[in-house]
Amino acid sequence: MKQVYFKILVIAGFLSLACTTRVSEWVLLNALPNQYTLVFFHNGPPGENIKKQNQEITDRIKNANIRFKTADRKDIKEPYYGLYYEDRLFSKFSNPAEMKDLTTSPLREKVAAELMGGKICVMLYLKTGIREKDDRGMQTLKKSLDASPFGGIITVVELSRNSTEEAHFANMLLNVEDDLKTIREPMLFGVFGKFKALEPLLGKGITEENISLMIDYLTAECSCLIKDDLPGTDILFTDKWDNPRPALLNKIIDDNPLLGE
Amino acid sequence: MQNDTISYDTVNDRPLPKWLTDQKEGLITIQPQKIEIKEDNSLKISFIATITVILLTIGVLTVFILKKFKRKE
Repeated sequence: MKQVYFKILVIAGFLSLACTTRVSEWVLLNALPNQYTLVFFHNGPPGENIKKQNQEITDRIKNANIRFKTADRKDIKEPYYGLYYEDRLFSKFSNPAEMKDLTTSPLREKVAAELMGGKICVMLYLKTGIREKDDRGMQTLKKSLDASPFGGIITVVELSRNSTEEAHFANMLLNVEDDLKTIREPMLFGVFGKFKALEPLLGKGITEENISLMIDYLTAECSCLIKDDLPGTDILFTDKWDNPRPALLNKIIDDNPLLGE
Repeated sequence: MQNDTISYDTVNDRPLPKWLTDQKEGLITIQPQKIEIKEDNSLKISFIATITVILLTIGVLTVFILKKFKRKE
């Protein structure tokens, strides 16, 4: 009989923990990143060289949230690779050289390390190259983080949308929504969980109020509404999400319980 | 998550992300249970049940007593 009481106590403990987990922590621990699909479109049976080339690509990307497929299509002249996220075409590549570092890059490594280190999120500032616009948004961001009690556990990284080293990463961010490529405004992406990028704040939408709301969203108690309908797009990255450090957010909330309400 | 962007004329008119509007409207936070006032018929049902029981009892007793008196006559 005593064992039954003990089991009830343990289950109740787990349930109470589940209800107080914050969005950023819950997503990192529980939500698996969505898969990309790399499709090789060809007309007719591929030759041995192509098969070997595709096997090399498969080996190179096997540790990331992506799968490889081939599709025989009669309506194409030249073979090509298409990178899809759900049913959205993100990029087209005519040869494997264009897919170099598709699943990883220095900045993605850095962002992932910050997320695994217990930070709430990484605020990724995608710059236009127009200094006046970029500086205005960055000043607002710095001011907002200085004013926030969680500012110290949010990392800011900057990326130019024209970066060649991070071209795949910038392209994925610009595909988070289907019109972003046409907008020449600085963009602020909240990156959290296992590399999930929220739909960005952009241009004049980068305000202290909106940044504060982004922080509120990521530090809120995780409700079923959030779990069932997670916003954002998962970024392609190698699968290195084991044993993250405990969320730094919890200590701040434990010390100041009013912040958690 | 719906990613199809609604058409707009300028960037300033572009709709805000859904997660942001939901957060602004407080839709994402855990909502308190809505209390709806429903019509309470329990008192009415109780009265009807009591009266029915009383009338039935009176009826049964009346028949019983009348039969008893008839036998004596």
